[in-house]
Amino acid sequence: MSEILKGRAWVFGDDVDTDLIYHNKYLAETDPKNMPQYAFEYYPGKEHFAKEVKPGDFVVAGKNFGCGSSREHAVYCLKYAGIPVVLAETCSRIYYRNAINNGYPVLFVKGISDAIKQGKINDGDQLEVELSTGTIKDVTSGHEFHGDAVSDLENDIMQAGGLMEYLKAQAAAKK
Amino acid sequence: MGKTAIVKIMERAAGKPVKVGDRVWCKIDWSTARDFGGANCVLQFEKEMGADAKVWDPDKIAFTFDLQAPSHSEKVSTNQKIIREFAKKQGIKRVFDINNGIGQHVMLEAGMIKPGDVVLGTDSHMNLLGGVGAFATGVGNSDIAASWINGTNWFRVPETMKIEVTGKFQKGVCMRDLLTHIVGDLGAGGMDFLAVEFTGETIDNSTLADRITLCSMVTEMSGKVPIIMPNGEVLKWLVERAGPEVENRVKELSADPDAEYCKVIKYDVTNLEPLASCPDAPDNVKPVREVAGTAVDQVHIGSCSNGRFEDIKAAYDVLIAGGGKVSPKVRTIITPSTTEVQLACAKAGMIEKFLEAGIVFTNPTCALCTAEHYGALPSGDVGCSTTNRNFIGKVGKGSHTYLMSPMSAMATAVKGVITDPRDILG
Amino acid sequence: MGKTFAEKALGRAAGYDVVANQVVTVEPDWCMSHDNGAPIARTFKKIGVKNVWKPERIVFILDHAVPAPSSDHAVNHKEVREFSAEQGIKHFYDVTSDGGVCHQKMCEEGFALPGLIMVGSDSHTCTYGAYGAFSTGIGRSEMAAAWATGKIWFKVPESMKVVVTGKFKPGVSAKDFILKFIGDVKADGADYMSVEFHGDGIENMSIAERMTLCNMGIEFGAKNAVCRPDQKVLDAIKDNAKCDRWEPLWADEDAVYAAEYHYDLGDIEPGVAKPHKVDNYAPISEVKGTKIHEAFLGSCTNGRIEDLRAAAAILKGKKVAVRTIVIPASWIVYRQAMREGLLDVFLDAGCVICNPGCGPCMGNHEGILAPEEAAISTANRNFKGRMGDKDSFIYLASPMMVAASALKGEISDPREAL
Repeated sequence: MSEILKGRAWVFGDDVDTDLIYHNKYLAETDPKNMPQYAFEYYPGKEHFAKEVKPGDFVVAGKNFGCGSSREHAVYCLKYAGIPVVLAETCSRIYYRNAINNGYPVLFVKGISDAIKQGKINDGDQLEVELSTGTIKDVTSGHEFHGDAVSDLENDIMQAGGLMEYLKAQAAAKK
Repeated sequence: MGKTAIVKIMERAAGKPVKVGDRVWCKIDWSTARDFGGANCVLQFEKEMGADAKVWDPDKIAFTFDLQAPSHSEKVSTNQKIIREFAKKQGIKRVFDINNGIGQHVMLEAGMIKPGDVVLGTDSHMNLLGGVGAFATGVGNSDIAASWINGTNWFRVPETMKIEVTGKFQKGVCMRDLLTHIVGDLGAGGMDFLAVEFTGETIDNSTLADRITLCSMVTEMSGKVPIIMPNGEVLKWLVERAGPEVENRVKELSADPDAEYCKVIKYDVTNLEPLASCPDAPDNVKPVREVAGTAVDQVHIGSCSNGRFEDIKAAYDVLIAGGGKVSPKVRTIITPSTTEVQLACAKAGMIEKFLEAGIVFTNPTCALCTAEHYGALPSGDVGCSTTNRNFIGKVGKGSHTYLMSPMSAMATAVKGVITDPRDILG
Repeated sequence: MGKTFAEKALGRAAGYDVVANQVVTVEPDWCMSHDNGAPIARTFKKIGVKNVWKPERIVFILDHAVPAPSSDHAVNHKEVREFSAEQGIKHFYDVTSDGGVCHQKMCEEGFALPGLIMVGSDSHTCTYGAYGAFSTGIGRSEMAAAWATGKIWFKVPESMKVVVTGKFKPGVSAKDFILKFIGDVKADGADYMSVEFHGDGIENMSIAERMTLCNMGIEFGAKNAVCRPDQKVLDAIKDNAKCDRWEPLWADEDAVYAAEYHYDLGDIEPGVAKPHKVDNYAPISEVKGTKIHEAFLGSCTNGRIEDLRAAAAILKGKKVAVRTIVIPASWIVYRQAMREGLLDVFLDAGCVICNPGCGPCMGNHEGILAPEEAAISTANRNFKGRMGDKDSFIYLASPMMVAASALKGEISDPREAL
């Protein structure tokens, strides 16, 4: 029996680049816990995100989320803001790797890019997300979406808590 | 059925046969980091593995300082210091400090990169090293720190898209314009997770600088890795720098004639015209002619996409043809990609002419392209740049940027408004 | 009784005879501002005057952070640009290859002229005394008021006479002398005073060396510092004086001084100012071997062609052991250095050559120090945290010592490198 996550939606468009998620101005930061304060500062209309986001809220986006830079800050700033999962049609490969490597789930949700454009899912909507099945219910609008499960290897890394943890566990198992 | 280059490269790195879709653990030839992300890798490695933990092989790790060289902030200085001290402690000799230039370019010039090498770096444009047939990819700090444990990392074997390019560029048109055309054609997600082999007579006859340009922006189409196997002059150059092993690698790792591609796209550059990526996305492509006359406040020529000697020389030729002066209405900044490029520009007498023209010539670095550095824009300003991203607010809140070729950028600097370089070159 | 330089210059500007301690109101010949022109413009607008008194007397030179390293700096520059356009200020040096460090530009562009009253919203405005000008730094509010009214008041300062004779030994330069001098008289040694440099030791110096001396005047409290405008100066300004209001002035033989010092340059040895005070002088013997992490050659104090030549002579054919940042004081200097092959020498030695500007001098960009790092620098201040982290250390020294130290990664005697 898997847990159902409940929270509000923060909705973004397609091709949300890493500068919009976490601007290059703050790249010198090395402590992940300090990163949430800068999240989406440069995203027009979402400048208030960092102030108003609550642990448990969801980030919902269209295609190619996290395109651009390799900065892991763009993952940390959401993870440490308490966003349990990113729901996107697709995300950039580097963003995807960075998320997996931190044990941070990204669900690829078919049709959500169009749903955002059609207003089927909006800022502030109450969502219920079941990670094990990939089922996403928008309680406010009544629409339902489905996310893809990840491959075995990615899942193993996720379950280990991230790539470093995974490799450490592997090394320990060898001994 | 034959194999694509990336399949052969990953088989070499994995030490076993692989097929598309497999998740495989590959041996890493170079695990590198910049002054951006580098300190994060170090801190993460030491936190997870302990302060006394040793990296798997100090001779396969390199650090490059290009985000802010020299540093503009205490935080970046501290990050650079963390890297220097870690390198010293671990016996990592390849530290390219602030006097070198953009990482991938510096490593290429240093002869570190061979075809088929698996190269990781904290730079999403790492994959420009595909311009010499390497499998180079930008990753976050976890991937780097993890690879330092045992010198491996996991990858999905990607499908390969083949892009065949034929024809000769007209005067005033160059590889950057082809690239802009492809970005516009395929869009920001057009190469999602794919490997891309560039082939055809136009590629075979192109310079290393052109190949770097082409490969640098595969990231902007969400591609995983671009591959161009060295031939001709590029092969000669690379053998001189990286040794005779390069030739074996080319033979061993080039795609089979009957390799399977998920998609083959053909482009003919004969009728291509100068193009611009308009605000605020690389794939918002229009002919330069169509946006000609737009006033700009700043022109920047440089970056890992177009900061080679050949790029700067192409801009120089436009400057001279245009009368040797840039418009006083425009601030024009040129940033060579490496010290070697800077010296070559000086020896060719170009820097002198740039300064006479009113242009600011900086030390080699990423400049405005990365974290706030030379050439940041104020709100309301319009910039024109040869860099690779023009996302909204990237170089300053409320500013907008047009991306274009070095020739178009210089034509714009000369006239003070966006200008098709053919109007100057005739 | 004779008059000092300050009495003559301020009397000339006031239009009547003045003596020390008298308060006079004069019209400045030039008002110079750099990137801080933006906040001054904001203050000016609050005064309620629509136009500046004489746009042709105002000079803007962007140098503190060029090209803009952040969007905040960029916004600042934009404000200066817009204010210049709006007010018709023609003497504007933007981010182009005409630019450089403001004080260097004021001198090489022919603004700094004998006898002129020059104010700048930068404390090192005293540099122009090398050309015989009465020049001094003022605050931002005062600058805004000067733009509005065309007037500025001064208490005519008492004067200090520094008599300098003889010649430097090899490996020793004007910077070593001024650091030793500041160490002797201390940071407040010339508080409020006009400092006059006299003697054959000064006559033997190039204008560049005199600029180094006058530039550091503020570091021992001087209101202004000045050298006699001799033939070297007259030759230098012959073709490029920006106005004809100038007149060579110098103190009378029997002028009265509040203090007087005598130095023989032959007695001076290489020396440094240790952290964190400019008057914390130490001869090379005391600091030799101190580990450094960065070497900086440049600034309005020592970024001229003469300084680059001196450093290049030591670096030629060798490799630096620490990161070494070379920033010519202006693009004119940069181009001259390029023609002389000095830039090749620096690049081959492993230095990074930045575009002209203030660089890391006041911690804006291009070489900020991390915690626990030490730098040897040719600039003029070593206050705690000035070049970056509050726990970093700055040693001020001559271009020759900076070059010699860069080669070894520790503070080194330039006489051994020559």
